[in-house]
Amino acid sequence: MTSGTLTPPRKERAAPAAPRPARSRRRPFLAPYLFVAPFYVVFAAFGLYPLVFALQLSFTDWKGAGEANFIGLENYTYLLTSEEFWSSLGNSAVMWLLIVPLQIVGGLAAAVLLANARLRLRGMFRVAFIAPFVTPLVAMAQVWIVAFDTDYGLVNHLFNLVGLPDVDWLQSTAWAKPTLALLFLWKTTGFAIIILLAGLQAVPADVYEAASLDGASRKRQFWSLTLPLMRRSIAFLVVVQTLAVFQMFAEPFVVTQGGPYGSTTTGGLYLYNHILASDLGTGAANSFLLVLLVFALSLLSVRLLRSKDE
Amino acid sequence: MTSQTKRTGRSLSQPRPGPLQYLVLGLLAVVFVYPIWWAVSSSLKPPADIVRDPLSFSLGSATLDNYRAMFDDVPIGTGFVNTVLVVAVKGAMTMFFCPLAGYAFAKYRFPGKNLLFGVLMLTLMLPTLVLVIPLLLEMSQLGWVNTYQALILPGSIDAFSIFWMRQTIAAVPDELLDAGRVDGASEFGIFARIVVPVIRPGIAALGVLTAMNIYNDFVWPVVAVNDESHQTLQVVLSTLAQNVTGNRVGADFATVWGELLAAGSIAMLPVLALFVLLQRHFINGILAGSVKG
Repeated sequence: MTSGTLTPPRKERAAPAAPRPARSRRRPFLAPYLFVAPFYVVFAAFGLYPLVFALQLSFTDWKGAGEANFIGLENYTYLLTSEEFWSSLGNSAVMWLLIVPLQIVGGLAAAVLLANARLRLRGMFRVAFIAPFVTPLVAMAQVWIVAFDTDYGLVNHLFNLVGLPDVDWLQSTAWAKPTLALLFLWKTTGFAIIILLAGLQAVPADVYEAASLDGASRKRQFWSLTLPLMRRSIAFLVVVQTLAVFQMFAEPFVVTQGGPYGSTTTGGLYLYNHILASDLGTGAANSFLLVLLVFALSLLSVRLLRSKDE
Repeated sequence: MTSQTKRTGRSLSQPRPGPLQYLVLGLLAVVFVYPIWWAVSSSLKPPADIVRDPLSFSLGSATLDNYRAMFDDVPIGTGFVNTVLVVAVKGAMTMFFCPLAGYAFAKYRFPGKNLLFGVLMLTLMLPTLVLVIPLLLEMSQLGWVNTYQALILPGSIDAFSIFWMRQTIAAVPDELLDAGRVDGASEFGIFARIVVPVIRPGIAALGVLTAMNIYNDFVWPVVAVNDESHQTLQVVLSTLAQNVTGNRVGADFATVWGELLAAGSIAMLPVLALFVLLQRHFINGILAGSVKG
């Protein structure tokens, strides 16, 4: 991560990438449509239909019962000028910064260490890393409440043992976000590792063989071969985790209920609060603003990760 | 991590990992596993001890009191049965249709493919929460609130799994498929008899993740079902969590913590055990790869 002196990745890439030759073969017409159709049927019934309904809803003042009045863009302008809305996005953005960069870099490092064929106990390490991802979030969120309790929690107990003072993990605006980010990181980094590991292992061994014959060092192989060939896996992860972080809901819902002072009211939880308040029109509008934002962020991250190569 | 970077190896073998690498991996493993161990071991302690000394654990004083109290307080058995049912049916749908669609997107060229794939990717961007209200209303129009189909059908064929399977299948050499075609296999036959066996490790990974995701799903089940007889395990768990947070001020929150850790542990253990068993199976498969064939 510190080397700035190496050849840019693109120079090295042409040979190993082994582009598959352009194919010309009989193209069955119907089969691919039949294969993808079930998804679109299910999506039309339980995705598109409710979505159109939600879009209509976002232009009304409907409260879950009674008459729905068309109020134009009022829900949207209300949100865009609302401090609460922007602070929910701000909270999510901070969560993103606390989570995604660390997870990608750390996950990649762990995956590289795990991919080493000569590593002993590899199976055990893998089980350990992925175990948190398997645990139910609701259950672990409960454990977090107990473990990060200021007065009787495990973490402050450990802190006291090494002479550190109590930290108000879940009751202070400064620490609540990092504490939830820690839950998210603890829970999902194993997933990141497994995706990155699979990406690493998809790189054919002869690519490295060729590089070794050319005298490329391990370090150089990592920056010039591994990383460029991993770009797709990394881009995939960034997008998936960006979506997950901006939709984060169960963690603050169970652990902090959005507090203290709204500091953990994420985009997802703020949205849910509209549902609780039966303010469905505003909730629907909020949904669409969130979708637009997340969509823009995903495009941006894909673009940023691709620009190196194309 | 970079202790042997000067080495310019000519051999195929990778550098032997040094003590630092083991230390880093070992510490990481402790950080990942300890919270689970702590939750399970604490759930076996007398409630007062959970609060008094969070670190201690002795087998001698282990007790199932927290579990007994928890079973009396929450319908966790019903939750288990419902969850198993939903995982089986919804999981089967995902496991069949998603690799199939992924195959079409990875290996066919057909008019409208880019558009269809674009739509698929767009749905990936949809926050689940957007759909919660309108889906709930749709369910009530259909009379499906508090039914298994409400828990099973929405999201049963998901874009994420299709996208993932497309990535996996794209790595399968075209020559393999062409060979099948030369042998006169049908398009579905090529998928079932060539693609699926080759990507079996990927399919196993999809199976594990799908089962976990459905087992752990929370937002939709908590909205779609309000009748105790259809609640999934996570919904049952969350009602307990609400009791706990509600009871914080109350006199005996050590007891509630005990029940809460017991419920959390019992929800974790089967899925962790299953995972440890399947883990060897599919990780080794990913390693071996079938690209060489």
